[in-house]
Amino acid sequence: MELQQEKKSLNKKSRTYAIKKSLLRNWQLYVFLLPALTYFFIFHYIPMYGVQIAFKDYFANLGISGSPWVGFEHFDRFFNSYYFWRLLKNTIILNAYGLLLFPLPIIFALSLNELRAGAFKKWSQTLTYAPHFISVVVVVGMLVAFLDPVTGLVNHAIRGLGFESISFLTSPDWFRHIYVWSGQWQTLGWSTIIYLAALAGVNPELHEAAKVDGATRLQRVLRINLPSIMPTIIILFILNMGNFMQIGFEKVLLMQNTLNSETSDIIQTFVYETGLLEGRYSFAAAIGLFESAINIVLLITVNQIARKVSENSLW
Amino acid sequence: MKRRKSLLLLMVVFLILAACGGNEGASKDKSESESTGVNVNTTGMPIVDEQIDMTIFANKPAQNEDNDWNDILIWNHYRDLTNINADWNLHHPDALEEKRNLALGSGELPDAFYLSQLTNADLLKYGGQGTFLPLNDLIDEYAPNLTELMENDPSIRKAITFPDGNIYSMPSLIEEDFLSLRLSARPWINEDWLEELDMDIPETTGEFYEYLKAVKELDPAGDGKTIPYGGTDIIELVQWLSGSFGVMNHGPSNTNIDLDPADPSKVRFYATTDEYKQLLEFIHMLYDESLIEQNIFSIEWGQFLANAADNLYASMIFYDPIELFGEEVGSQYNSVAALEGPEGFKDYNKLSSSIWETSSFVITSENENPEAAVRWMDYFYSDEGAKLYYMGVEGESYEEKDGESVYMDHILNPEGDMTFEQALAKQLTWLGSISGIIKADFFQGGETAPQSMEAAEKIEAFVPEEIWPRFTFTEDENKVLESTGADVDKYVEEMRDKFISGDVDLSEWDNYVETIEQMGGLDELLGVYQGAFERYQEN
Repeated sequence: MELQQEKKSLNKKSRTYAIKKSLLRNWQLYVFLLPALTYFFIFHYIPMYGVQIAFKDYFANLGISGSPWVGFEHFDRFFNSYYFWRLLKNTIILNAYGLLLFPLPIIFALSLNELRAGAFKKWSQTLTYAPHFISVVVVVGMLVAFLDPVTGLVNHAIRGLGFESISFLTSPDWFRHIYVWSGQWQTLGWSTIIYLAALAGVNPELHEAAKVDGATRLQRVLRINLPSIMPTIIILFILNMGNFMQIGFEKVLLMQNTLNSETSDIIQTFVYETGLLEGRYSFAAAIGLFESAINIVLLITVNQIARKVSENSLW
Repeated sequence: MKRRKSLLLLMVVFLILAACGGNEGASKDKSESESTGVNVNTTGMPIVDEQIDMTIFANKPAQNEDNDWNDILIWNHYRDLTNINADWNLHHPDALEEKRNLALGSGELPDAFYLSQLTNADLLKYGGQGTFLPLNDLIDEYAPNLTELMENDPSIRKAITFPDGNIYSMPSLIEEDFLSLRLSARPWINEDWLEELDMDIPETTGEFYEYLKAVKELDPAGDGKTIPYGGTDIIELVQWLSGSFGVMNHGPSNTNIDLDPADPSKVRFYATTDEYKQLLEFIHMLYDESLIEQNIFSIEWGQFLANAADNLYASMIFYDPIELFGEEVGSQYNSVAALEGPEGFKDYNKLSSSIWETSSFVITSENENPEAAVRWMDYFYSDEGAKLYYMGVEGESYEEKDGESVYMDHILNPEGDMTFEQALAKQLTWLGSISGIIKADFFQGGETAPQSMEAAEKIEAFVPEEIWPRFTFTEDENKVLESTGADVDKYVEEMRDKFISGDVDLSEWDNYVETIEQMGGLDELLGVYQGAFERYQEN
């Protein structure tokens, strides 16, 4: 018994000793790590202290800690607001729609990979990357110009074909399609980069062996390339899910007007309106916190599922 | 080795402490240096004998985009006159609300807010917290000009006094008779095309409709490009025609609220009335027949101006056409006054109260010399002050001609392709920044251009006797306005546009009214306005 205990404590001692030793031996590496840790601590952990204003009536001159507690009043008000269900529904549908197109860049990357390196491949890559560098404001400006019901290019074409022009920008039915597909146009090429990098790492011997066995090209893509980049796909999917509720809200805000707000009113634009424009910080903080809570739950769920199903996961 | 490690640890601790501690030190310094006010002269200029600085947060409107308020004729002159050096902290209108709320939220306050579009709710909230100073006593003592104006027109004091009895701001005022300015954008009609159609200027909503229809048929702009009615926002048309249908009978300052015609001691929520429904029906009919610009719900100013310059509009609601579209296009337009509606209403309700803005000048708790600040602002309520603000300095920006003050030639007829406004903005800053009191005698702008003055004269006969300013509310009332009020206003606005565009059919009207009732628009919200209205009457 005593012996065992001694052994245990010895074990413990030797383990802490080992940690200390490796710390000392590799101290340079830890110094490299330090700036990043400090950054996260200062900009991501310290500000969390401010989350408490979601449960308070924040008054600037009383400060964050001095403002009076009000409990769940702000949450209550938000959940009982007339617009709560609409906001939630719009946010979820818009995100889910965007997520539905998640396979597009994968398909695109797989097909690009099949092209022999040459002018055509380079061109199509550059062409699809290019829109990524256009700022959101400009993209929305282009949408407004192209889709205008009277002077817009698209409606000219529609009228030319003998149909009635469509007021895309003020229609709640069209908002989601325009938002998601213009987003896809902008990011498709850029999102393929990671997949292409992963594809470059696929062992050529596998392909050679498959060729010898008489596999067709499609079979090789589906049986070799796709499984090889599966871990990358899963990780990116989990990361995307983590950002589920946080779509590019500037773009929504820019595209929003009273006529399409039935589908374009999302939680984040609501937070912007109430928080920054109306100065109701506590209320906006409560909504933001609610949104973050949903995000965390989603992230953990998807991660858990991914770990069970495929043994690939973030943690 | 060990020493190195502890050094490292020290560094981490130090870094973190530095990051957290920075702010505290700074704010301590501030509070120590407070209340070291200087002697303020109670009358005459300069206001202080030794020059002091005052940081002022202000909106910088688009017309002033290219000038520097920290080095410009008017403010240099006023600094020399008062010995108060205004250190302007200027913000673009698009970012104004955001920047202002950040300043208020972070506690990094300027000495004063100038024309920063603070709402009454903000004034009460931050006033109650002590961020904004109550000005009642300071105004009594140091603002003789404003006090005099308030004695002559009690509605000014009513509009800026809060339920807690305090005044937190000095307002921007318009001389009551200076109607042209209170109208802002007003209706215009293309007279050349009217003549071509052999029609007179419309007097009723029916005639207006006939004209729009006829002009669409005639298509004087060619290629079907003629736009019978255009504007920058549908709300302009709604507000103009509200007088023809008998709603918004006390002006637009209190959203969706006017006086109950059946009982003058009660306010009414007019967005659920049959009159309002008729108004929407009429405008929907215009929109449905493409008599209203079809992209009016998403149009940008730039496009509107471009269309106007191409001479596409048969009618519109906008500012002075000659000033904005040039002589050739602009001179085709003539003004329309009020239209008579189907039920015989013929009022013109789309004008602001003579209290243009309540929160023009607000003094914060950071200000070490509030007395000097009040005097600094009060000057602009005097004749000389108004003249300085709107006309500038004699011999520099204006001159006396036949007993009238007029801008000098370099402003009226600027060189090159500079416009009047651009030349003006090199010396003065009032464009888009209405402050102090505006008097017709010392004001020269689009609103005093002959066309606009003529329009105002025509409209005058139809203006209701009383236009309310925005009421003031208690903190509890503000809570209702922020939650129920915000939801209801948003819903009403959205549904208004949907009814007009036809996205929602007017047969859904009962649903619409029911929804507003469920939201609490007709009891809770109306109760708040009723209380505020009663206080307003009593003040």
